[in-house]
Amino acid sequence: MLKIINAKKSYDGHDVLKGVSLRVDAGTIVGLAGPSGGGKSTLLRCMQGLEILDGGTIVCDEATGFMFQDFQLFPHMTVIENLMYAPRIHNQIEHAYEYAVELLRRLGIAEKATVYPKQLSGGQKQRVALARSLMMHPSLLLCDEPTSGLDVATIADVVAVLQSVRDMGITMVIASHDLDFLVQITDRIVLLKDGCIAAHLEVKNAENPIEALKRFY
Amino acid sequence: MANLLQSFLFVGKGMGVTLQILSGGLCMGVVIGACAAALRHQNMFACVINRFVSIIRGTPLLLQLAFVYFVLPGFLPVKLSVVAAGIFTFGLNSSAYIAEILRAGIESIPKGQFEAAQTLKIPVYYMWKDIIFPQVLKNILPSMVGEVIALLKETALIATIGGMDIMRSAQVLAAQEFTYFTPLCIAGVYYYGCVLLIEYVGKRLEQRFSVC
Repeated sequence: MLKIINAKKSYDGHDVLKGVSLRVDAGTIVGLAGPSGGGKSTLLRCMQGLEILDGGTIVCDEATGFMFQDFQLFPHMTVIENLMYAPRIHNQIEHAYEYAVELLRRLGIAEKATVYPKQLSGGQKQRVALARSLMMHPSLLLCDEPTSGLDVATIADVVAVLQSVRDMGITMVIASHDLDFLVQITDRIVLLKDGCIAAHLEVKNAENPIEALKRFY
Repeated sequence: MANLLQSFLFVGKGMGVTLQILSGGLCMGVVIGACAAALRHQNMFACVINRFVSIIRGTPLLLQLAFVYFVLPGFLPVKLSVVAAGIFTFGLNSSAYIAEILRAGIESIPKGQFEAAQTLKIPVYYMWKDIIFPQVLKNILPSMVGEVIALLKETALIATIGGMDIMRSAQVLAAQEFTYFTPLCIAGVYYYGCVLLIEYVGKRLEQRFSVC
């Protein structure tokens, strides 16, 4: 379970998070939506510990994985090396190779194991980034704009891939400005605007979730 | 013809000293330069490292060499040989330039690469060794080849403290034969041959890195 209590963060005097409180229960998928500059990515980065909060606390008893908006694969390593690197450094290589191959197979890029990231398309890089973030068996996966820059067909692929991640029992928090995508994949959407939570929406209970959220933009 | 061959062999004896100083100085320069660049990026000892780089780059190499060989033994209980003084001086000098080259290379690496290592909980040492420096190396290779060539040419200064390198050997030969033309041409051939070899290795490495 992840619990955020009154999170505050500012950059150069500009308040990006103004006391955000949020709870993410195990096994659920929560979407962070909202206009650009609303604080989605900052909140996600604070959850991962990439940014230090100015105030408030984040309580997280889960092992986390993080998927970057721009993938951040290691360009000098092949796909399989990217996946195997963290387990190797952490001395968890037992069954790691088999797991890496299995992940690549499930994500449909098994044949790309020995190529370098620059030889991959955007969608393939996205999958590799996802596979790498799953290699250390996180129970909470944080995804920053996973559909950014992807075409419609690839976004559908990403939805399918994230659904398979959900089937693995992994809790997810996904920051995205793409409401269509969030509605397809999440249980709950939290709308962040000007550093505050402007709306909560249970996707299943809403008749027209996208229209309901757009009212708060 | 036999004379020319003998002259080549005579000047070539200085190659050992030149290569010792080049390889020793380069190893020392890379190690110290890499540590300095990494520490400075981590905001550790940045002030000291900046001052070190500034002093080394702001004073003549000839002065540094003379200082290490003639002055330093007065403060330290060791007597440095000519080659050791050369390696120490050229290594220190090179480390300042390499630290600057690496700084530019490190700044060209996206911040996200550091963050990706952080999210995977990669220890700092491995992050630098396996993730950052290999990428930096690819970016700075042309500058590093330039630095190695500059270092090779600067080793000729070792002649000023009595080191029998290529340049000094050529000078000795010139004094024996009362002509500078042939010995200096031979020294030039040796230096240029080494430079061509360094450039070739640099090109091959660039080709290899271009795969990824």
